[in-house]
Amino acid sequence: MRTALRSVAVLVGLAVLGGATVTWFADATKARVRENRHAAETLVLRELLGFEIDAASGGDVLLCERNLLVLRGDGRGYGGEFRLAVALEVAEPAGTTVKGVRIVDHAETPGFADILEAGSTWLDSFRHGEVDAVTGATVTSQAVIAAVDRALQRAVDEGLCVP
Amino acid sequence: MNRFVEAAVQRNPAWSQLLGLCPLLAVSNTVANAVGLAAASALVLCGSAASVCLLRKVIAADVRLPCFVLVVATFTTLANLAMEAFAFELHQRIALFVQIIVTNCMILARIEQVAWKNGLTATLIDALGTSAGFAAAILALGAVRELIAHGFPLAAQPAGAFIIAGLLLAAATKIRQPT
Repeated sequence: MRTALRSVAVLVGLAVLGGATVTWFADATKARVRENRHAAETLVLRELLGFEIDAASGGDVLLCERNLLVLRGDGRGYGGEFRLAVALEVAEPAGTTVKGVRIVDHAETPGFADILEAGSTWLDSFRHGEVDAVTGATVTSQAVIAAVDRALQRAVDEGLCVP
Repeated sequence: MNRFVEAAVQRNPAWSQLLGLCPLLAVSNTVANAVGLAAASALVLCGSAASVCLLRKVIAADVRLPCFVLVVATFTTLANLAMEAFAFELHQRIALFVQIIVTNCMILARIEQVAWKNGLTATLIDALGTSAGFAAAILALGAVRELIAHGFPLAAQPAGAFIIAGLLLAAATKIRQPT
């Protein structure tokens, strides 16, 4: 009985110690991680649009200029949350089309996530309006399609950026 | 010094014990990725071996394995966070494989066989030697794959990793046991 209690105490003690260390370190690196993510998002957006925009403004609408609307989107794939940016060309009425999609970050399984890389034919197919789910990455591809769809729907429903 | 060389060469985790092969094959497609994973593994191995060694009087023998896993998990999470903060680009490419260091048998084996039973100096020498051995193995594989991937694209693919790792293993075995 005493040895069992001691074992439990050691395990709990170690868990608390480990948890405290990790929490402290996560807190200490939080600012840097946020900075890194922001820099990565800026890069992705520059690639998507061909010019630099300031992504610091926390909102979902990243840009609205002439007919170009850039929205943030997110969803849940196979490995966890992902974030993306959608560039839309706004036209009345309800003729809004997708100009481009880029994944900002994701946690999908390496290898299965190749379709999410910039310049993949699959991501490119969003511009042509007809996107298929990908065999072997069904959950990932359907989640991305749904996220892009939500962004597009929102732009149309709320009349975002309509001149 | 002998212990270090023994841990790194004679008992090389990859080429003689065949441990840690999953990350070895998956992350050796470029030298940069290989360096990142080798560094993270070394940090986790040395950190958790030293911690277990210092705590070996406290840890009860019958729950030692869960205790080891807790310690290794703590260091793995720290390594992952450190990489996300200080080497973000690398983190985006190999984060998954840094996270699964926690299940690397190479690390658990060194803790169970050495850190749990020996003093701090012996533990650290063994951990550093094993880390060096793993780094040498993954860097060799990464360098060969990156070098020949231009003329031989299969080398960058998973199948190429298996083939080249097999050839390197054959070479290492041949060198170790001269006939």
